[in-house]
Amino acid sequence: MPSISKLQEAPVMLETKVPSKPRAGLRVGLAEVALLGSIVFAASGHLLIKEGLNVAASATMHEGIWLRLLAYLGQPSVFLGLCVYGIGTLAWIFAVSKREISYLFPLTALNYVVVALGGRLLFDESIPLKRWAGILVVVCGVVLMNRSSEGGTE
Amino acid sequence: MNSMAALWASIAIGGIAQILLKRGVSGRIYFSRLPSFAWWAGLLRSGWLWAWGISFVIATGLWLVALSRIEISYAFPLLSSSYVLVAVLSKWLLNESVSASRWLAMVVICAGVILIAVA
Repeated sequence: MPSISKLQEAPVMLETKVPSKPRAGLRVGLAEVALLGSIVFAASGHLLIKEGLNVAASATMHEGIWLRLLAYLGQPSVFLGLCVYGIGTLAWIFAVSKREISYLFPLTALNYVVVALGGRLLFDESIPLKRWAGILVVVCGVVLMNRSSEGGTE
Repeated sequence: MNSMAALWASIAIGGIAQILLKRGVSGRIYFSRLPSFAWWAGLLRSGWLWAWGISFVIATGLWLVALSRIEISYAFPLLSSSYVLVAVLSKWLLNESVSASRWLAMVVICAGVILIAVA
């Protein structure tokens, strides 16, 4: 009679993993579009909120904290900014429902790229050479990450 | 509160929040390309989603506390360490397959974020 320990030593059928076919180009599905949307909306939301806070902060410098909070929320650009930010959050939730989080989360570093390019286009801020290099490295990482994407739904 | 402690707590809680969100939505499948209104409404009844929302608010609060005393150019590159935390937790708790090429991509992205911050 085989002992239990013998049974446990029986070879285990190894699960063979079929390597996924390498993609020729980038994977741009609905999830990737939603991710980009969430980044752009979050960045624009922040910008609007900050713009409104600057106005409200100087107007209510000597008020109490609650009055100030109320004044902040009453600022049209703060309110609009929060709404825009909320839409970005919904887009993020949608993307997360379609892809792995270990794939999506590092891609949010594109935020820095969007903010830098937005500052250049909208406010004519200059981008130092080192920062361009950083942007290039982030974009390379994002492309690499995109190529590591597997599974999920379209 | 020590501002460095607030910064690290914010990074850790922010990373955990993403795991909670992923756990919350992955139990709720939909078969069309876009989720229905009922799917979105269902999220409001998910404990995971509430846990995500609460941790997100806490992480944001701690981040603001930290930023009031720490230079943003110092704090931002540290934020990218949460990518690694999320990858480790997603592998451990959500059984995500984090391949070698994904780790490499993560390292490249972190390097880029550091370059942007110090520039």
